[in-house]
This record gives sequence, structure tokens and C-alpha cells, in this order.
Amino acid sequence: MVLYENNKEKYDSIPKEKFVQVQKDQEIHDVDFKTKPIGFFMDVWLRFVKNKASVIAAVIIFILSIFAIAGPSMSDYRYDEQHPELVNMPPKIPAIAKMNLGIFDGAYLLENRQYDNLSDPEKYPEGCVLEILNPRLVNGQRIVDVYVDYYKYMGLEDEDCYWLGSDYLGRDIWTRLWRGTRVSLLIAVISVCCNVFIGVIYGSISGYYGGKVDMVMMRITEIISAFPRIVVVTLFIMVAGTGMFSIIMSLVIKDWVDTARMVRAQFYRFKGREYVLAARTLGVPDMLLIFRHILPNSIGPIITSSMIAIPSAIFSESFLAYIGLGLQAPEPSLGVMLSRGQKVLLYFPSQLVFPAIVISLLMISFNLFGNGLRDAFDPTLRGAE
Amino acid sequence: MFRYIVNRILALVLTLFIIVSIAFMVVRLMPGSVYEMGGDLSQQVIDALNAKYHFDEPIIKQYYYFLENIFLHWDWGTSAKMRPGVPVFDILRDRIPISLQLNLVSLFAALPVGMAAGILAAIRKNTVVDYFVSLMVVLFISIPSFVFAAALQYFLGFKLGWFPIIYNVSAAGVARWHSMFLPILALSFDPIARVARYLRAELAETMNSEFMLLAKTKGLTYAQSTIRHGLRNSMLPMMNIIVPMFANVLGGSLVVETIFAVPGMGGLMVDSINASDHMLTVAILMFYSMISLITVLIVDISYGIVDPRVRIGGKK
Repeated sequence: MVLYENNKEKYDSIPKEKFVQVQKDQEIHDVDFKTKPIGFFMDVWLRFVKNKASVIAAVIIFILSIFAIAGPSMSDYRYDEQHPELVNMPPKIPAIAKMNLGIFDGAYLLENRQYDNLSDPEKYPEGCVLEILNPRLVNGQRIVDVYVDYYKYMGLEDEDCYWLGSDYLGRDIWTRLWRGTRVSLLIAVISVCCNVFIGVIYGSISGYYGGKVDMVMMRITEIISAFPRIVVVTLFIMVAGTGMFSIIMSLVIKDWVDTARMVRAQFYRFKGREYVLAARTLGVPDMLLIFRHILPNSIGPIITSSMIAIPSAIFSESFLAYIGLGLQAPEPSLGVMLSRGQKVLLYFPSQLVFPAIVISLLMISFNLFGNGLRDAFDPTLRGAE
Repeated sequence: MFRYIVNRILALVLTLFIIVSIAFMVVRLMPGSVYEMGGDLSQQVIDALNAKYHFDEPIIKQYYYFLENIFLHWDWGTSAKMRPGVPVFDILRDRIPISLQLNLVSLFAALPVGMAAGILAAIRKNTVVDYFVSLMVVLFISIPSFVFAAALQYFLGFKLGWFPIIYNVSAAGVARWHSMFLPILALSFDPIARVARYLRAELAETMNSEFMLLAKTKGLTYAQSTIRHGLRNSMLPMMNIIVPMFANVLGGSLVVETIFAVPGMGGLMVDSINASDHMLTVAILMFYSMISLITVLIVDISYGIVDPRVRIGGKK
């Protein structure tokens, strides 16, 4: 304005006709976007696939899930089929045993055997001796320790092999392992789904209505979250008995509170926004406002936190199995197999190794996957806890 | 601040009361009679037991006696199956020190290692060192402590024979610590990883702040500015994760103690549940509740002390 005030005469002397709109009848050179607009989930996907570790983790989770579904039917044994004559067999996979790698060859150490008997096909069937160790002379006898292929030693065909060995009741560990993985995953996924379901509804109502409703509802969650997790889970299992359902419920009973709090916080962030006000002015009912307009904003945090909750549910399940509150026999779970394997660790380590590998892989993959999802949903949180 | 702490302590007592009530009811309503243990008991003995422990009266009255005993005599009842006739509190008193020792030592052993790893990762950000630390953090946090415990027990204890396979109760001095090494190690992986991850994130952020630039402009060397300015500012928030970690470690030590046969609270809890020794179970659950509630309280109060901005309920 100062410019105009100072040069008033100069501007006023220009005749009005000289002022012309620049673009009046001209072609507009702006062009439409050639690329497609990227939606929220596409955006997340693009960010997610950039994170190599998370993608690998997702693939591992996928493979393990496939095995959990199909694994038990790949072996001829059933998960509860007992073979009292074949207890604690070592693992043997014929295809790998032929490669002479020293793993999965059904090797079992027989100590203090007479060397002269080794060539006796009655006692040691053809080809069962893998390695001879520690030859020594005791009382004029040639004594050795010998690694035998225990399946051949027992006179069993290759088709009858337990791929990952058998447990103390002669049950196939391969079948039990994958069935156990299935059970553990089911427990984790179902409990997390229940958490999310209860938490979302509770948190939405509490966050949306606010005021007294919010205060009362948050008091309740505070009381629940004050109870220590170990104590709640233990007490619940003691009341409800050890079954899959009661384990799931014991995990839900306290953990939904976290989801509820998170959803409530999201509601507080978004319920005052202008678009919500606009929708309300247009007469949108409360339920629609909650679930259609506000809740979708929290989809990212909800998915992320549920992914991170899965490994902790898997851990809790094994924890319960270790303290003797796991699933009832003969149903296997990773925790049950781990705690059984722990008892014979020093004699038959393979019974612990396989469930330990699977549970570690699951936990690592879910953690990495959860981290990747978090970074993808909310890049500002990258590298944070 | 004072009123806030008093309120919190009152809430804590109330919560403990609710927990002890629920635990008592749950445990009493469990199937299995106290009389099973002795086989055939004469009516006389049963009457005597009833007179002493009030088992024949309604559960509400039993509950009343239970609370009365706790509040007036600090009597938590008597163990029925694990060590018949021994007061529960005495059993706990034998067991608590060793559990606390195990947990505290593993936590304090983990702190310097975790901090060193975190600092190293932060000042060598985006190098091989950083990636290695990050990898270790993911592994240590994800793999359950009982898997570590089993691996250590098998390889270091059994195969190499460097350490005893299980905890040696009778040994004293060096031999005792020697046999306690594996459980401590197994428990310390998780805190190491958590401390390292937290400190790395915290320090990496501090290193980018302007006062660090100022410090360097004023002529401080890299080491001086990092230690005196960067590290100090990142240390404060550490408090917030160290205390809750203690409650975390306790949960894990339950299983690790059973694996290494450490005669602590963990093994006691497992045994008492399996033997359905009810009074003992109630007392142990109370112990765990108390520990975790006190931990939460300390965290909340320390927030206020460490960072006055979050202080609630104080004067205006």
C-alpha cells in the first residue's frame, strides 16, 4: 500500500483500459498428474518394502505359518501316536544323512562296546556303524565308543525315520513341533485379536465421549493395569484350568488395557479436528463418527502394537508351560515341548533344540516385522523404541 | 509432591488388598482338600486341625481370620505340602534373598555392558559397529531368556564344563558365585539389549543437538563433548527404563531359576502351584505383586524427581 500511496499520481494516471487480465482467453498450461495418486496403504507398503530386514522377517513368518498348517500332515506319524519301543530316537532325515554332513544321520553314541563285536551283523546290522572313537584296552578286551545310526541298529527302514527324532513316549517330534507351532501361533493371534477387539471398542467409547464416562472407564483400566501380569495370569489359569481357551483368556484379561489406552489417546487427538465438527454439523450419528471418521486414523498404531504383542503372547504361553500351567497332554505347544526338552537337555539335546529354534525365529521375525510396520506407518518414529 | 506420594501409596495398599482377597478366594475355591496329605486322619486330628485353622467354617469367616492373622500377627499361614508345618513367611524369608541377589546382580552386571554397547553404537552410528550392536539387540530382546539359559547350560556347563550345570546350594564364597554365573548371564542378555537400544537412540539424538555443536565450537575435543555434554544429558531418561526392567527380569528369573535349580522364589512358585500348597501360593503371589507395584511406584515418583515437568498433583 505504501508503494501506491507514495506514487498515487503515477498510478492514477494510467487509464483503466490498460488493465487486462493476463490469462483471460488463454490456454492453461498446467497438466493433470500423470501418475496415480498413492493411497495410505500403498504409501505404507512402499515404505515397508524398503526395509529389507522386515521383509525377510515377513517371509520367515509366512514360511513358518505354512509349516504350522501343513507340517503335521507331512509326516506319517500323528502327534499323539506313542511308540514305547522307539523312545528318545535321534533325528534322521535319509536324504541329508546320505550327504555325510554329520547332522540328521540318526547318530547315537554307544559307549564301552567290544571292538570285536562290531563286525558281527547279528549285533550291528550292515552299515549302521558311523564312527569309532576312543579305542582302549580294558582287561585285555578291545573296548571302543561307537557312533551308530540308531535306526539301522534297531533294524528299521529309512521310511520309518523320525525326521527330528522322537520324545520320551516315542512321539514324532516333527509332527509335534509343527502342531505345537500352530497351537502357539493360534493362542497368540486369537488373544491379540481379542485384545484389539475389546481395546478398540472400550478405548473408542472412552475417548469419544470423554468427561465423566472417560474418567470412570480410565479408573477401571488403571485398576486392572495395577495387577502384575504374572499374578493375574497364574490366578486365572488356576481358576479356569489349563486349556487353550483359558490360556487365551488369561492373556486377554490384562493386555487389552494397553490397546484401549492407545485408542483413547488417538481419539483425543482427532475428535476435535474440523472435519469431525463438519461431519457432526451434517448430522452424522455418534457411532458413524466413531467408527467411520475417527477410528480409521488409529489403524496404523493398532496394527503395529498388535504385531508387537504377538511375540510377547508366545513368550507368555511358553512361560506358563514352564511353570507347569501349560496345555494338557497330549496337545503340544512350543512351550510344552521346550519345558519337556529342558528335562532331558543333557542326554537328548535335539528335543530342546528344534522347538528353541522355532520359537526364537518366531520371536525375532515378529519383532522385526513389527518394527518395520511401525516405521512404515509412522516414519517419524523411526529408530525410536 | 508429598500428597501425590501419599495418594499413590494408599492406592498401592488398596491394590494389594484386592489382590490378596482375590488370591485367597481363588486358592480356597480350588479343588483338593487340605486333609489329603496325611492319608487317613482320625476324626480327632481333623477336629484339632479345624480348631486351629478354621477349615470347617464358612469361607468369609476363614477370610476374616486370614486377614486378622496377617495384620495382627504378620502370620501368613502354614505350608501344607511343601514343608508341612513351617510358617509360610519363614519359607519366603529363606528364599527371597537369593532371588533378589540373582536379579539385582544380573541387572547391575548388565548396565555397564549395555551402556558401553549403546554408546559405541551411537558414536559410530551407521557403521559396522552400529549394525552389529543393532543385530545383537534384536537377538537378545527376541530370544526368550530360557532358551539362552538352556544353551548356556548345555554348551558352557555340560560340553565345556567351565561352570556347574546347576546352582550349588552348599558351596560358599567363590564356588557359589561360580555356580551362579550361568543364571546371571542368562538373565542379563535382555537388560543389556534394552539399555543398549535405549541409550543408542537417546545419545544419537543428543549428539545432533545444538549445544553439542556449541561445545565443539568452544574448542572441546570430541571425547570431552561426548562425555561431559552428550552422555550426561542422555543418562537422565535412563532411569525410566532401568527400574521397570527389574520387574521384567523377575518374571524371566522364574523360569531361569527352575532351569538352574536355584532355590529362589521362582522355583518355589512353580513347586507350590504344582503341589497345590495354597497358603504358600497366596504368599508368593503377594510377593510378586508387591515387587511389581513398588517398582511402578518408584518409576512414577522418579519421573517427577528426574524431570520436574511431569510432576503431578503438586502445588501450583
